[in-house]
Amino acid sequence: MHPSGPAPAVEALDLRKAFERIHAVDGVDLDLRPGRIYGLLGPNGSGKTTLIRLLAGLSKATSGEARILGTRMPSRPMLGRIGYMPQSEALYPDLSVAENLGFFAALQGARTRAAIDRVLELVELSDRKGSPVLELSGGMRRRLSLACTLVHEPPIIFLDEPTVGVDPALRVQFWAHFRRLAAAGATILVASHVMDEADRCDELLFIRAGKVIAEGTGAELRAKAKTDNLETAFLQFAGLDAEGRPVDGSPAQ
Amino acid sequence: MSARRVLAVARRIAEGFRRDHRSLALLFIAPLFVTALLGWVLRGSVAGTIDLVVAGAPAALVDALESAAADPDLDVEVRIEAIDDADGARGAVRDGDADVALIVAGSGANVGLTIVTQGADPTTEGGQLGVVQALISGAAGALLPIPGARLPEISRETIYLSPDADQLDALAPVFLGIFAYFFVFILTGISFLRERVGGTLERLLATPVTRAEIVLGYSIGFSFFAAIQVVVLTLFILARVEVPALGPIPAFTIGLDVQTAGSPAIAFIVALLMAIGAVNLGIFLSTYARTELQIVQFIPLVILPQALLGGVFWPVERLPDVLQAIAHVLPVTYAVDALREVMIKGADFGSSVVQLDLAVLAGIAILFVVLGAGTIKREVA
Repeated sequence: MHPSGPAPAVEALDLRKAFERIHAVDGVDLDLRPGRIYGLLGPNGSGKTTLIRLLAGLSKATSGEARILGTRMPSRPMLGRIGYMPQSEALYPDLSVAENLGFFAALQGARTRAAIDRVLELVELSDRKGSPVLELSGGMRRRLSLACTLVHEPPIIFLDEPTVGVDPALRVQFWAHFRRLAAAGATILVASHVMDEADRCDELLFIRAGKVIAEGTGAELRAKAKTDNLETAFLQFAGLDAEGRPVDGSPAQ
Repeated sequence: MSARRVLAVARRIAEGFRRDHRSLALLFIAPLFVTALLGWVLRGSVAGTIDLVVAGAPAALVDALESAAADPDLDVEVRIEAIDDADGARGAVRDGDADVALIVAGSGANVGLTIVTQGADPTTEGGQLGVVQALISGAAGALLPIPGARLPEISRETIYLSPDADQLDALAPVFLGIFAYFFVFILTGISFLRERVGGTLERLLATPVTRAEIVLGYSIGFSFFAAIQVVVLTLFILARVEVPALGPIPAFTIGLDVQTAGSPAIAFIVALLMAIGAVNLGIFLSTYARTELQIVQFIPLVILPQALLGGVFWPVERLPDVLQAIAHVLPVTYAVDALREVMIKGADFGSSVVQLDLAVLAGIAILFVVLGAGTIKREVA
């Protein structure tokens, strides 16, 4: 992708993960550079979450390797430089907003009040500091979850469907913030199955059945597929027709 | 009221059960298991022999006691040993070499009889006492100068608890260790299951935290509350506070005022070691549950057998051999033993029994810590 430029922040070399007979990640190569937002797009069950877990060192690859800032994963010291937002809520419902955030901040080694206040400001939860998570709406929980991911200002950020349940106005703010983080040098990988978020990314990775089927900027992929619609482009790269059925005899997944 | 909707609800329950094989199995197997175990404990337990040491008795009395003991109607074997000195008899009971001592002082019309037991287990000793009293009645002829004279009053003596101690005096100190163990196990099990299911464990493991840090943090957090629980329970067991009548509320007392001999501090250490073990047992077993209900299902499988076999209600030595062997790998057995030694017999750190119990409990706690920590990254490699 980048013959020159800064050293890769996130790398995957023929990364594979098999669960019994299912190849969830099936030979993925990646080379993600600092300062950019990458969109990982694919349908449910295509391997997005498994790929992110491998990259974040939460799961051990069956073969191949993942590297963060040049260090082979899983590596515990590297975890402090990663921000990972899981797809599930992953918050303590009995604890308050501030207590949840304080807990994850302490584990990450970022225990300054300023860092906590700053990130609460960002997700607009400053006035709900004392509320137990139990009382928050789904969207507020997503915001708190994002705050827990970013509180230690990690240079590598993995976001698994970060904007699910977030209203459009806040979604715009989320993306504006992702952009600021990238401008400050962070490497961001956002998994999504919503194609309309794709254009906010610098580069896209289409993933299907554990394989990267296409990669490039939105414009490049559109040009290659000769369509203006990314969804149509995805179907075309996946070898499916406009109604999602396989064309030219390639197997349905 | 629509029968169709009622049936739909009922059917939903049945389908849920059909998927949850464990709940289904437990529904039928757990009661059988627990009842069978209880039956085995009660039926299989040996009545035991009673070692009776008789001090200061004339040969004729010893002979008469022996022939009374040989009576086939007596359903328990009594082994009689005669010695001269009364203190030796008391020592034999204290050291556990004899169950009951019969001390005979004086002779003729001035004869005095004293029965000595340990005073550590009122129920068991009550049974033994009855047998010995029956023997004395049977041997009355050898004791009394004139046929038909009244038997002298038999005085009671115990080494540890007072002769009027009841079952509560023997049981309450033992509960100290058991409660902390069982409650902490349930609380940690559910708490850690939530970490696993709710995704917070995943988020935790995405930080530089180590397994040892998680396990240690959990142990400190839960042991803190276990410690408070033990202190409150100890105070309740030992104290007796009279609350005066206040308006319509009559006067009442708080606390059980249980007699104890030993240091509550050592009992506290026993309870704390149990709690640390329980935290990590909870972490370990939470791997094998998917729902909070399934944690609760561990109660009949993990907790009840320990309560039955650990020596809380029946002495371990009286259990059938197989169950005795099982009892000796259960932490509860050692905690109960240590608590009895300390709280009833007044043993301290100098006692080799207490030292061994504490060492075993510490070893078991460490084993559970390793097991618990071992399950944390399993899914994560």
